[in-house]
Amino acid sequence: MLSLTGIAATLGLALTGKLELYIHPRYVPFTVGMAVLAAAASVAAFILVPPEAAEGAADGHSHTDGGGHGHTHGRPGAGTGSPGRLRAAGSLLAVLAAVVGLLVLPPAALSSEAARQRDLNLSGTLGPAMTSRLVEEDPSSFGVREWASLLRRSPGDDYFTGKTATVTGFVTAAKDDPQNVFYVTRFVVTCCTVDAQPVGVPVYRPGWQEQHAVDSWVTATGEFTSNPDGDSKVELLLSPSAVTATTEPDRPYVH
Amino acid sequence: MSQPRREPRATKPSPPAVETRPAPPEPAAGARELGWRRLNILLALAIVALLGFAVRSLAPGAFAGLEGAARDFFTLSISVVIESLPFVFLGILVSVLVQVWLPPDVLYRRLPANPVLRRLVLSFLGMLMPVCECGNVPMARGLMMKGLSVGESMTFLFAAPILNPVTIITTHQAFGWDNGILAGRLAGGLLIANLVGWLYSRRGPAGVLKPSFEEACAVEVSRHESGGKVRRSLQLFSRESNAMMPALFAGSALAGLIQVAVPREVLVRLGSDPVWSVLALMALAFIISICSTVDAFFILSFGATFLPGSIVAFLVLGPMLDVKMLALLRTTFTAGTLLRLVLLIGTCSAVLGVVMNLAG
Repeated sequence: MLSLTGIAATLGLALTGKLELYIHPRYVPFTVGMAVLAAAASVAAFILVPPEAAEGAADGHSHTDGGGHGHTHGRPGAGTGSPGRLRAAGSLLAVLAAVVGLLVLPPAALSSEAARQRDLNLSGTLGPAMTSRLVEEDPSSFGVREWASLLRRSPGDDYFTGKTATVTGFVTAAKDDPQNVFYVTRFVVTCCTVDAQPVGVPVYRPGWQEQHAVDSWVTATGEFTSNPDGDSKVELLLSPSAVTATTEPDRPYVH
Repeated sequence: MSQPRREPRATKPSPPAVETRPAPPEPAAGARELGWRRLNILLALAIVALLGFAVRSLAPGAFAGLEGAARDFFTLSISVVIESLPFVFLGILVSVLVQVWLPPDVLYRRLPANPVLRRLVLSFLGMLMPVCECGNVPMARGLMMKGLSVGESMTFLFAAPILNPVTIITTHQAFGWDNGILAGRLAGGLLIANLVGWLYSRRGPAGVLKPSFEEACAVEVSRHESGGKVRRSLQLFSRESNAMMPALFAGSALAGLIQVAVPREVLVRLGSDPVWSVLALMALAFIISICSTVDAFFILSFGATFLPGSIVAFLVLGPMLDVKMLALLRTTFTAGTLLRLVLLIGTCSAVLGVVMNLAG
């Protein structure tokens, strides 16, 4: 049951193109392939193998120890005695939880709650070598991650003068100056959502709370200027000419 | 004695002892009828699932009430499940192949008789099977059912996720040969896995395995030739997935819960202290439950924050033990065994990491 739930969820997500909410695109073919194989095997086993044989070695002989305690597997309804019933109830609960979690709830990306918990721009940014290669590239195609990397490993303030950045991401409040500054944030995913690391570009916009809620998606355009708050660790900020609300993109993560 | 507890599902009452059980083709007519009934159940399930999807796509707002941490919990847990599921299936499939389709003595004939060498060879078995740690649990169960000792299977179980081509390539891509991270990971994994195997081969199997699994092994070894191979494969596949899935789901849920509850920066802040950073990264490896084939990229993304020894501790402990693995291993080993394994492997990885930090 649980494997069927998992398989159904994987294939369902694949069909609706949401699998990338959970894993890196490069694993999608492998995951879908294994799900199809496993689906074939499970269905064949379910239809062809009679229950006695299926429960065979794992279940049948534990009767020899007088009562069948210590079954390991969670097959629902394996026994009808009271330990069996308890077990069946537990399995049912597990299946229910899995069905609700995997099939009923809408697939979702991580929220700003998770971003708040993980250090911003500590680890999701590009390495020094990649960043210095960025300097030679055309900045018009840069997104949150590229700008965040450039800001972190600054190639010199001169680099930023006269350059316009357009970044799209969700809003998180800056920890040291939540009144005036917010971050346009994206998650970087290297394998699956578990390792998602937030990266963000700081935006200077006093009173931003009145226009944009935390966790909502925005596109900000503008140039980089030095931080009016000289004591802050953040030296350069995006001073936007425009911040417009937008919807969450199909690929909310940066890969 | 326990007969009445079983549902009278088929024509033949199940025998009291399994030795008399094999011969599945016997109740053929009943089985076919049963097959039909199961097909119907399956169809009903499919319809329910379709309805669920339909409801969800028609009323997308209906279930969107979850916000913040609760939503992240589901997202993270599902992510762990979806990421591990194909590896678990692959592990089960390979395990079935080895158990059913490989002639029983092939494995034994090739293995050296000397126990130390034998375990050493087994630790390199992962080279042939590029599966990460979640797939190795069903594989190790299969090896034990095939008749390998507990110590030998443990050596395979803990060495294979590190000593396998995919892990080595990704670790090399992430770190190259710098700072001895790759060498430390491989040597550490090999050493610890063989140490664990050696300890458990001296100890004997009593109290290590769960009783039900131990019996399953005893039966499995004594019956090689029952039923058709396809049927046995399917049987094994469904039995192993039934054993693995609850563990995988529970472990993933736990991993998701811990990650929502424990702010990651607490661990990362411990950064550059030679001792504390080892412990912090080991804790991170334990709770994040990421697969060994990709964990090098993950830890690389933390950049230069950590010392090489700490990274090695992360890369050695993570594939062997984490929250998800403990849940999976619990299908096979007793709780006491797992506790001892955590202490043993944890201590070894910590020592390895600290020594590397202080020496380097």
